[in-house]
Amino acid sequence: MKKLCRILSPLLILALVLGSLSVSAAPLAPGSDLISTQAALSAERADSDRERIHEVLARDDVQAQLVAQGVDLDEVEARVAALSDAEARQMADQLEEMPAGASVVGALFAVFVILLVTDILGLTNVFPFTR
Amino acid sequence: MPDAIPQRIARLINARLAGVIALAFAFLLITGCATSPALSETAQQQLPRQSQLSDVPFHAQRDYQCGPASLAMVLHADGVDVEVDTLIPQVFLPGREGSVQPEMLATVRRHGRIPFVLDTSFEALVTELAAGRPVVVMQNLSLPAWPLWHYAVAIGYDLDTREMTLHSGEEAARIESFRRFNATWARSDRWAFVALPPGELPEGVAEDRALEAIADYEQVQGAAAALPAWEALVGRFPDSALGHFALGNARYELGDIEGAIEAFEHATDIHPDLAVGWLNLGLALQEQGQRDAAQEALTRAATLPGRWQAKAEAALGAQ
Repeated sequence: MKKLCRILSPLLILALVLGSLSVSAAPLAPGSDLISTQAALSAERADSDRERIHEVLARDDVQAQLVAQGVDLDEVEARVAALSDAEARQMADQLEEMPAGASVVGALFAVFVILLVTDILGLTNVFPFTR
Repeated sequence: MPDAIPQRIARLINARLAGVIALAFAFLLITGCATSPALSETAQQQLPRQSQLSDVPFHAQRDYQCGPASLAMVLHADGVDVEVDTLIPQVFLPGREGSVQPEMLATVRRHGRIPFVLDTSFEALVTELAAGRPVVVMQNLSLPAWPLWHYAVAIGYDLDTREMTLHSGEEAARIESFRRFNATWARSDRWAFVALPPGELPEGVAEDRALEAIADYEQVQGAAAALPAWEALVGRFPDSALGHFALGNARYELGDIEGAIEAFEHATDIHPDLAVGWLNLGLALQEQGQRDAAQEALTRAATLPGRWQAKAEAALGAQ
């Protein structure tokens, strides 16, 4: 299994990189094409070309991270495509620390007691029966 | 060792004192941010005392899936027919057993609505509710040390009883006091968004935020889908040079070159230093065969310093 992964992962990375390069590089191509709104806005925000390249890499990074988090392979590409450039960068840099809305408590008894008190004080909203 | 015992007692007293101080400090920290939200005088006067959106359908969350459930509620409320089961693989992260904020916004885009993140104020949230729009909010129901992140859909408020109404978790139209809601919402830095059809804008949205939200949407859904949103933007902000510029780009993409030229001219009228506006105006005129006018616009673009200069010079050379 590990061996298979070792062969498959580079291939997958390569496929994803190539797949996204062609799309992301399109607005940079020379020609008489107009400057896109997105390019003008990112220029307005003073993003450098280097950051644009960083964004291309960011999307690949996010794809790999989503796969690692158990997202279906069929869905990964569409999910990354729907992100804005800034969001893709944010996801690539800090997906691990990002809050994920879920609402499960995996806490210990001591925490339970503290949260019970804060719930009663109206500071938190963990246990429905305190309301 | 006769003096060891008093020493130990003294140390114990010190430790206890330190403990009491630490506890008091921790309590201050916890309660520090838990105040009732305040509205400005003008907002108090202008907003209706209460508003309840009764037509927002409720979807109970299953397992950890408050993200997909919340999305389904706001999308259904706006007439987008999409099931929770379709949304789960699009937004849920199995490894994190939850959904992250950027992907919540991205999924809204995929379903043809524009996500606008609201200002981080209670007023912005209440104003949207008063305008009849449900708002997705992120809360930390627990304390910062043991976070319990949660998405819910705000569907109403009552300024007299000081209560919010939310479709939350497994409970439809849950009533939460302003104080408790504000405490849990503040822990997500008051993150909230509305999902609007192209052509609608949130009430108090800032120009740059609206520009960015629509540009991000256009990148995913294309110019035809974004066109009504750009028209709404220049309607709301008639002096937005970048708004007219973006409208011009969308029109150009859809083959309306005359309309595009008009919008680019408008943009450069408002903001004569907008090099990218002159550049696109010149290129569009060039395509129309209006060589003289194109020459003039491209020359303007080429004289303005910045990243578009090279491209403008190249286009002039090709004239």
